[in-house]
Amino acid sequence: MKHRRIPYAFYLVCTLCLLLASTVAGATNYTLWINGRSGGGAPGNYSDFRYWGPAATPAGINKQAVNWDGRSSIASQSGRVRDALDCFCTGQNWCYIATYSAGDLLLGYTLANYGGSARTVTNASANANGVCAASGGVQTGWNLKWVRVAAGAAGGSELANAGAWTTSEPLVQDLKTSTARAMYNHNDTRNVWFYRYAGARGTAYSFVLPGQDDEVVAYHSSGGVAGNAGRSLCNPGDWLCDDLRLGTAPNQGGSVKWSWHSVVFRDDGERFNHYGDGNWAGIIGVVREAMVDTAN
Amino acid sequence: MKRWSIRPISLRHVWLALVVAATLVVGLFWHQDDPALPRAAAAPPAGLHFLGPVPAVTTAGEDRTMRRRQLAGQVRLTQHTYCSYLQQARYPHTSRPAAQHPDQLYPNQPVRESNPMRVAGGDSDPGVLVQTAQSRVYLAAGEAVELSLRAVDARGAAVPLVVTRALAQGMVAQGARPAPRVTLAFSQDDGDHWRATFAPQAGALAGFHGTIRSEVRFSVNGRTGVVLFDVIHSPELPAIWTGAPREAIGVDALEFTLPLDVRLPGRYVVSGRIDDALGRPFALASFNELLGQGTQAVALRVHGKLLHDADPAPPLPLVLRDVEGYLLRENADPDRLLLARREGPVLVSRTLSLDGVPDHAWQSEERSRYLAEYAKDRAAAREHLAAFDPAATLPPAECSEAGLVQ
Repeated sequence: MKHRRIPYAFYLVCTLCLLLASTVAGATNYTLWINGRSGGGAPGNYSDFRYWGPAATPAGINKQAVNWDGRSSIASQSGRVRDALDCFCTGQNWCYIATYSAGDLLLGYTLANYGGSARTVTNASANANGVCAASGGVQTGWNLKWVRVAAGAAGGSELANAGAWTTSEPLVQDLKTSTARAMYNHNDTRNVWFYRYAGARGTAYSFVLPGQDDEVVAYHSSGGVAGNAGRSLCNPGDWLCDDLRLGTAPNQGGSVKWSWHSVVFRDDGERFNHYGDGNWAGIIGVVREAMVDTAN
Repeated sequence: MKRWSIRPISLRHVWLALVVAATLVVGLFWHQDDPALPRAAAAPPAGLHFLGPVPAVTTAGEDRTMRRRQLAGQVRLTQHTYCSYLQQARYPHTSRPAAQHPDQLYPNQPVRESNPMRVAGGDSDPGVLVQTAQSRVYLAAGEAVELSLRAVDARGAAVPLVVTRALAQGMVAQGARPAPRVTLAFSQDDGDHWRATFAPQAGALAGFHGTIRSEVRFSVNGRTGVVLFDVIHSPELPAIWTGAPREAIGVDALEFTLPLDVRLPGRYVVSGRIDDALGRPFALASFNELLGQGTQAVALRVHGKLLHDADPAPPLPLVLRDVEGYLLRENADPDRLLLARREGPVLVSRTLSLDGVPDHAWQSEERSRYLAEYAKDRAAAREHLAAFDPAATLPPAECSEAGLVQ
């Protein structure tokens, strides 16, 4: 009987070729958008952008809406974020992330508590619950490029302290400034940058929110300032209030930012409030533009 | 039956293999442009740079200027991303310089806040600031919290305040049976602070798991105000510290190991502070791993290179202090059961010299994966800018520490 023989070099070359093929074909970048309080988009439906605005609006490469209900506790909703990260940010796939308001708290909590856990590599194809099937392999943590944060509430909001929102809502309890800041180690981002965008067009609650605010969060939170809440931080030029400084520099008065958090946009013109108005408006619009420019 | 076997190669087969490989690769790159695939959103001409806004564009010439600026911004962004990761990933996530965790170094210091006095009807009185302090936010079983408040005017001068009522109640889901309430006994100290100690285990809230809200009503200048203190109470200990901590020099770190008798298995998140011999914070060590039931070990490590890199070197011995942690309950609310806090010094190291302490950078699959991807992005950004504008000056590819902002 004559044997058909395949040269081992053929195996070698084809194996390399297939490895390259899997790398090239499978490597996809995604842009995840994590909403804030109130929710609106269907959890698990990564195409549902109703929370943000028209879905056709550009907002970064392969954008996905990581919807959560916007009222339950951070801990109970972290699974939604982990599902999305498992779906789009494992294996050969990498993610850019945009968060907004309480979504900042949600992502920070998730990375600090689960960022070093073993994650199943998936096929990036989600079922109706937003869960993707395993495609083989396990990795430590997720594949993240960086995060941009619109009106981040990781430092909480005095509106939650003051009872301006319904106290029966679990998320409002989490947004109390002392609770939000004690909930997890905000400096532990797995060495992933959080670029922060702080709006300052706030008037309605200025007597409650210290320093500059966007009507829901004050600069001490949107600027990623570490330590206790209540610190008044403002745009340059206010003699009665310390400046929120750009980048990672300590603020006037000496307060510092969480590590891996950098203020890249401070609303010196007081043009942007907290609200997206279902149309990518306010400070969300500023971050959206940045995502279009840089998440590709 | 046919059998397949491997034998030394002939030149013809190599050519055949190479042709197949080339065809596949070309095909795949071609496929990347397939309009059916998810595509990048078209970048509009205007937008934000890496570190700031870019003016709107109106003409084709400005369009090109804008595009060039955008590409240069990507070069800076990817350079920053790569270099900062490279610099900081010399040490593992579980062993970090203290300076990078400024708000984690003294976990048992009170949380102090100052807010305008909130009065009946939801309004605030900006003329009166209420300064509050609570010794902790998360309470393990058996722990108590110290609460205090005082009032000051806009210049910081004390304003007389009288606490009129203080009730603590567990927060429950809407529609659920209300949790018990307990009265807190506030009293005025020698100065102008009103203080109370709240120990949930001593009363009707002993078994309550979750947020306990203390609503304190007071009077200032004849007006009634209210302030809220929240603590998150954990009614049972998921594990018990047991035995004496140990110290050893591991593969790449100085390791402090704390025995833990685990009653409830799961993911334990623990952190400890490392001071130098002069009591200055040197590092934050953390632990985040799954532990099974029974006697386990929680290892808090000081990465060897972190010690060797420090300039000046930390005076030895190191001291491990203020260890705290919890069992993390996935997708549950409340999400944690706290371990008993270990306040103050836990272990004084016997290591008095860095001789024998390993001195090499952290290595891991995660680190390699990140550096490879970030390097790829950086190279691509440089290529894109060079292709668009061959005259563009690219920044040096080397990472200079001076250029990093972390």
